[in-house]
Amino acid sequence: MPNRRKGTLAAALRLMGRALPLVLFGVVWQVVVSSGLINREFLPPPTAVAVAFADLFTGGDIAKNLFVTLFRAGAGLLIGAACGVWIGVMMARSQRFKDYVMPIVGGTYSLPKSALIPLFALWFGIGNVTAIAAVFLACLLPMIVNTYHGVMTTPKVLVWSAQALGTTRREVWSRVYLRNALPDIFTGLRIALGFSFVLAISAEMIASTNGIGKLIFMYGENGTYDYMFAAIACVVIVAFFADRGLLLITRRLLGWHESAVADHDRRRA
Amino acid sequence: MIAQGRESSRVPWRSVASVVGLLIVWEASARAHLTPVLFLPPVSEVVDQLWHSITDGTLARDLSLSLARAFSGLLLGTVAGVMVGLLMARNRVIEWLADPLVALGFPSPKIAFIPIFILWFGIASLSKILLVAFACIFPVVIGTYSAARSVNRLFLWSAMSLGSGRASLFLHVILPACYPRIFTTFRIAVPVGLITTFTAEMVAGGGGMGATLIYSQRFFESPTVFAYILVMLGVGLVLDTAMRKFQSHFLNWAEEAGV
Amino acid sequence: MLDVVRPKIDIRGVSKTYASERGPVLALRGTDLTVNEGEFVSIVGPSGCGKSTLLYVVGGFLEADGQVIIDGAPITGPGTDRGIVFQEYALFPWLTVRDNIGYGLERQGLPAIDCEKIIDRLIGVIGLAGFDNRFPRELSGGMKQRVAIARTLARDPAILLLDEPFGALDAQTREIMQDELLRIWLETRKTVLLVTHDVTEAVFLSNRICVMSARPGQIIEEFAVALDRERPREELVLSADFNTIRNEVWLSVRRQALAAGQQNAEPS
Repeated sequence: MPNRRKGTLAAALRLMGRALPLVLFGVVWQVVVSSGLINREFLPPPTAVAVAFADLFTGGDIAKNLFVTLFRAGAGLLIGAACGVWIGVMMARSQRFKDYVMPIVGGTYSLPKSALIPLFALWFGIGNVTAIAAVFLACLLPMIVNTYHGVMTTPKVLVWSAQALGTTRREVWSRVYLRNALPDIFTGLRIALGFSFVLAISAEMIASTNGIGKLIFMYGENGTYDYMFAAIACVVIVAFFADRGLLLITRRLLGWHESAVADHDRRRA
Repeated sequence: MIAQGRESSRVPWRSVASVVGLLIVWEASARAHLTPVLFLPPVSEVVDQLWHSITDGTLARDLSLSLARAFSGLLLGTVAGVMVGLLMARNRVIEWLADPLVALGFPSPKIAFIPIFILWFGIASLSKILLVAFACIFPVVIGTYSAARSVNRLFLWSAMSLGSGRASLFLHVILPACYPRIFTTFRIAVPVGLITTFTAEMVAGGGGMGATLIYSQRFFESPTVFAYILVMLGVGLVLDTAMRKFQSHFLNWAEEAGV
Repeated sequence: MLDVVRPKIDIRGVSKTYASERGPVLALRGTDLTVNEGEFVSIVGPSGCGKSTLLYVVGGFLEADGQVIIDGAPITGPGTDRGIVFQEYALFPWLTVRDNIGYGLERQGLPAIDCEKIIDRLIGVIGLAGFDNRFPRELSGGMKQRVAIARTLARDPAILLLDEPFGALDAQTREIMQDELLRIWLETRKTVLLVTHDVTEAVFLSNRICVMSARPGQIIEEFAVALDRERPREELVLSADFNTIRNEVWLSVRRQALAAGQQNAEPS
C-alpha cells in the first residue's frame, strides 16, 4: 500500500515538474506586461486573462459556444471516421472499387479542406451543416488511408492460420483484417481529431454565427482582448485534453500492440 | 481475399473513367438545370472563369501572394523548428523548457490564434507568414527531436571508433541521419502551411487566394469559387508530386540504411 | 488380400507459377509425393526451392496446378484437418495466450467448459502455466512457438503442417522444441509434414526425408529413416547410424544447393 502511494506521489511530482516551465512562462509574461515592455493593448497580463477565463465559465458564454463547436467537430469526426473505415475496407477488398475511388481520394488529399468552406457556405448557408460537412471531409481522408494500410499490411500467415483453424472467408474480415488494422485506425483517428478542431473553428470564423471560433473572432473585433486570449486558451486546453484522452483510450484498447510498450519506454528514456 | 486484382496496366482506365464520369455528370446536371446554377455552375463556365482569371492576371497575383506567404512561413517554421528540435535533443534544460509548450501547442488548432496574430501584426502578409511559421514549427520540432534522439547508436559507435569528436559526431552523423525524417516532416508541414495561409486569408482578408475565394462566395460568384478551389487542388498536387520526386531522388539512401 | 492402404496425403503433379516483377517464376514443377497416415515426413532442400510453397499448397492456402488429395478427396481450400504452424509464429497479437490457443475451439462452437479444459491441458503440455493472460508481445520466441503449436493441436487436426517452425529460434531453444515436437508426435502419432532447411533436425524427427531440387522444385530423392527414437537425444545424435543418414541427406541437399548456385550465377 505505501508503495503504491509513493508511486502516485512520484508521478504527480513528475507531472508538476514537467509543467513548471509553463509557470515560468506565465511569470515572464506577467513581468513583461507589468514593466511596460509590451503594451497592455497588445498583450493583456495573465491576471486579466485569468479573470476573463473565470468569468466566461461562470457566465456560460464559453460553455455554450464550446458545446456547439464540440458538437460540430464530434459529429463530423464520427461520421467521417465511420465512412472512412468503410471506404478503406472496401478499397482493400476490391481492386475495382479501389481503382474507381482512388483519384477522388488522392485528389482530395492535395486539396486544403478549408478551401471548401466557402463552397459549403454557398450550398448550405451559415451554420451547422457547413461546419460539419467541412469536418467530415477532412476526417475522411486520414481514416481511409490508415484503414486501408492497416488492412493491407495484415500478414498472410495470420489469415492462413485463422483459416486453418476454421474461420470462414466472411469472418476473416472482422476477426483478422479489422483487428489487425485497429492500431492504424486509431492513429488515423488521432489525426482526424486534430483536423476536426481545426476545420470546425475555421468554419466558425468564416461562416458561422456561433461557436468558439466565432467567439474568439468577435472578441478580437470588439477589442476585448483579455476575453479573446481566455477563449483561445480554452481551445488549446480542450484540444490538448481531447488528444490525451484519445491516447489513453487507445492505450487501453490496444494494450496488446507493441507500440504500447515502445511509447512507455520512450517516455522513460 | 485482399484485392489482388489484375495488375493495373500502365493506363489506369478505371481511375480515368471515374474522373471523366464525374465531370460528365457535373456538366450534364448543371446544363440541364437539375441543380441550381448557383450551386453547381457548368464545368465549361468554371473553366471559362479560370481562363479569365489567368489572362487578366488576378489569379497570378493572388496565387503568387499566397504561395509567397506560405513558403516564407514554411521556411521560417522549418528552420526554427529544426533548430529547436536539435537543441532539445542535445540539451536537457532546453528540452525541459520546451516540452510543455510543444505538448500543448501540437494538438491545438493554430487557426484559433489568427486574431492574436492580426492584433500584433496587422492584416497584411506579415501576420500570415508568422502564423504559418507558428503552425509548422510544432510538427517539425517533434519530428526533428525524435529523429535526433533515435539515431541508430551503431552509427554513432562506428563514427566514434573512427575518430569522431563530439562536434563532428553531431555534424557528420546525427544531422545527416536526420535529413530523411526532417524532410518527411517538412512534407507534412507543406499542406499545413497552405491550409493555414488560405484559411488566414479567408478569415482576415488582406489579399491572396483565400481572400478572393471568400469575396467570391459572398457575392455569389460560384464559377470563381470553383475555379479557385481547382487551382488550390492543382497546387497541392504539384507540390506533393515534386516533393515525392525529390525524396526518392535525393533521399533514397534512407530506406536501405535503416535510418 | 489386403487392400492397398490409401495414403493420407497424395500430392500429384503439383506445379505452381508465381508472377514477379521479372516475369512468371515456376516455383514447383510436377511435384509428386505421398504421405501415409502416422508418418513424419520432412522436406529439405536449398533455399528458394519451393518447399514452403508446396506446404502452402497442401494447406490449401495457395492454388496450383495438379492435385492434392487428402483421405481420398481433393482439397478445395484451407481446412481444419490440416493444422499449420509458421516460422513467424503467426499468433494473433490482440489475443492472450489462452484466447489464441482456444481460437480454433471457439470457431468450432464447443461449449465453454470443454474449451477451458482443453486449453488448460494444452497450456500444461507446453509448459506455460501462469502465462494464460499474457499477450504475444510479452513472450519470447520459443514461448510464442509453443503457443502456436498448442493452438494448432487444440483443434486436433489429423495432419500437421510445419513450415520451418524453429527457424527463428536460437540453437538451444530449437533443440528443446524439437524434443517437444518429437514427444508430441510419439504420443499422438499424427501425420506430419515438416519443411526445414536443417538436415539434422529432419533426421532427428522424421521417418522419411524428401529432398527437393533447386527451383523449379521437384522431389529428387527420398530417404527412409529407421532410428529408435526412444533413445535420449545425446545418444541418438552422436550415434553412428544417425550420422550416416545425416551425411547422406546432407550431401544430397548440398548437391541441389550447388546446382541452385550455378543457376543463379548464370545470366538468365
